[in-house]
Amino acid sequence: MALVNPEFVDAVSRGEFNASACMNCGVCSAVCPMGIELLPRKLFRYVLLGIEDRVLDNTETIYSCLLCKMCEANCPARVRIAENVRYLRYYINKKVFKL
Amino acid sequence: MSDRKIGVYICHCGGNISDYVDVKKVREAVQGEPGVVVAKTAMFTCSDATQQEMVQDIREQNLDGLVVASCSPKLHLFTFREVARRAGLNPYQYTQVNIREQCSWTHTDDKPGATEKAIRLIRGGIARTALTEPLEPIKIDTVPKVLIVGAGIAGLRAAVGLSDLSISVILVEKSTAPGGRVAGLGKMYPHGKNGREIISQLVDEVKKRKNITLFTGAELVGKSGSIGNFTVKIEVGGKKVETVEASVGSIIVATGFEDYQPAAGEFGYGIDGVVTLAEYKAMLDNSGGKPALGGREIKSVVYVYCVGSRQQTGDNPNKYCSRYCCNAAVHAAIESAEADPKIRQFHLFRDMRTYGKFEALYTEARDKGSVFIRYSDAEPPEIQKDAGGRLKVTVKDLLTFGEEIVIPADLVVLVTGMVPRSNNALVDVLKLPVGRDKFFNEIHPKLRPVETVVDGVFICGTCQGPKNSAESVASALSAVTQSASILKKGYVELEPLIAMIDPDKCKICDVCTGACPYSAIEKGQHRGKEVAVVNEAVCKGCGGCAPVCPANAINLKGFTDDQMESMIDAMLKEIV
Repeated sequence: MALVNPEFVDAVSRGEFNASACMNCGVCSAVCPMGIELLPRKLFRYVLLGIEDRVLDNTETIYSCLLCKMCEANCPARVRIAENVRYLRYYINKKVFKL
Repeated sequence: MSDRKIGVYICHCGGNISDYVDVKKVREAVQGEPGVVVAKTAMFTCSDATQQEMVQDIREQNLDGLVVASCSPKLHLFTFREVARRAGLNPYQYTQVNIREQCSWTHTDDKPGATEKAIRLIRGGIARTALTEPLEPIKIDTVPKVLIVGAGIAGLRAAVGLSDLSISVILVEKSTAPGGRVAGLGKMYPHGKNGREIISQLVDEVKKRKNITLFTGAELVGKSGSIGNFTVKIEVGGKKVETVEASVGSIIVATGFEDYQPAAGEFGYGIDGVVTLAEYKAMLDNSGGKPALGGREIKSVVYVYCVGSRQQTGDNPNKYCSRYCCNAAVHAAIESAEADPKIRQFHLFRDMRTYGKFEALYTEARDKGSVFIRYSDAEPPEIQKDAGGRLKVTVKDLLTFGEEIVIPADLVVLVTGMVPRSNNALVDVLKLPVGRDKFFNEIHPKLRPVETVVDGVFICGTCQGPKNSAESVASALSAVTQSASILKKGYVELEPLIAMIDPDKCKICDVCTGACPYSAIEKGQHRGKEVAVVNEAVCKGCGGCAPVCPANAINLKGFTDDQMESMIDAMLKEIV
């Protein structure tokens, strides 16, 4: 069981992370050349719901993204997926790796 | 044997019939039937050329009966009746024999059998035609006035529409003021206009017009007569109850819906802070700014969709989708976000149905920060209060890995649907058809969407099923058009194929009255004695009364006992 924390998304993005337009179609996961199943649809849901533990569980996955933007080019809702991944890395760099 | 002159035409229907039925053999078999003077086959009997040939044959050979063996009468009965009429033959002396749907298409595996069956069916048709008499449609003069029951958005708009066509209106409203549900609403989707303003605009229009009479605190208590000329009785309340009687040509029912009321404990209903969509909408409309509960600002809202709709279990589940609620909830979320951009909103849905142009609302709500979480009907969300007195909603999010999540909330909104109103008295008075879902039933949802099986009684708005206000008004205007099409012509013509009672044989035993589903049999006088009489305008010619009469006094015009018996004899020829 995970507690929803609506404040988390603000902490990640400083107001910039934006995945609310996502309609959960799953095209992003389907076209990912790395075959990263979690990214980005489900990952972004965890961010939106503020389930920080699940986001941090997937730190490896977040860093294996090539930022190739294949998903972004195919996103029907025009979510800026690569940008969002960068914001997440920025947050993890600070919080986990203390960079 | 018969002094009739009957023409028989057998259709190939391109091959639909002739691929399985040997039409030439059929023609040879029926051309010697009593009364038959012309027997022909045709590639398409419905073609202009064959129709013309029939007209010519009827005129030249002086035919007094016509039989076409082709498709279902649903398709071409009126086509060939019209052929008869053009040739100067009474249209009711025409018989259509269905050798396509009921013969060739059904027996594709047995060609000789299909041919034999076609012969017998046509013999029956010829036998019926030999006993036909000329009939005339029943003509009823119409009263250019309409009774509308219910003065909500649908009833009001219908009244204005009819008034524009110079048709008088009696508008009856049960409550003390017109306006219905929409009168209690603030901003409505998709245009953001205020419900109260829309209604006051309509009410002003109604008041301006001299040919609309509005009764509030009134109920329809009696109806007699039939399409084109009903007599209605209205009880008008107030200090002294008065009864008003009036003649109207048609009746439009626009009695609306009821909000689904969740049971205590259903999705936590009853816990402080758990409200229905209607209650939340009222909070939003009345807050004038940020929504608040008991003086405390609401910072997070959880919406639970499909409450009272699309139910699969329970004693009387509401299986239908209420259609308007996804849009209304999403619109409420947009309104909330506009009042307070920092508000957190979570939507727990089963399926989002923001159909058509309302998809834009769904996108806008997501843009404004609403998060949508899909739950399964098998594992519905649970709503509880935690130790600190805060609401918490536990749900499995199907769009992650089925993660069980807990959402803390200041307010839980149950997105409740529409349920039918119980209107037993009105159903009794108008004999309205009620569906399995308890909403009123139209004849055909696509082709006859506002007509009921009771001729001259129309339904519109949410009394026939869940609709938003725009859809309600569209159906109201469709009822206006249907009413006007009867009333503007000045008369209606009805099928004369109805029951007739021989007054000399009738012993007024009343068995037929009980058998009639349309209440078309009344008491009347004949040479000083009381007899049963058929109200020609109400009778549908179903034939339910004919076989139950112990005195054998009832016959159905066009399908008399003599005709039915001769048809049976003709069909069984050479067998019995």
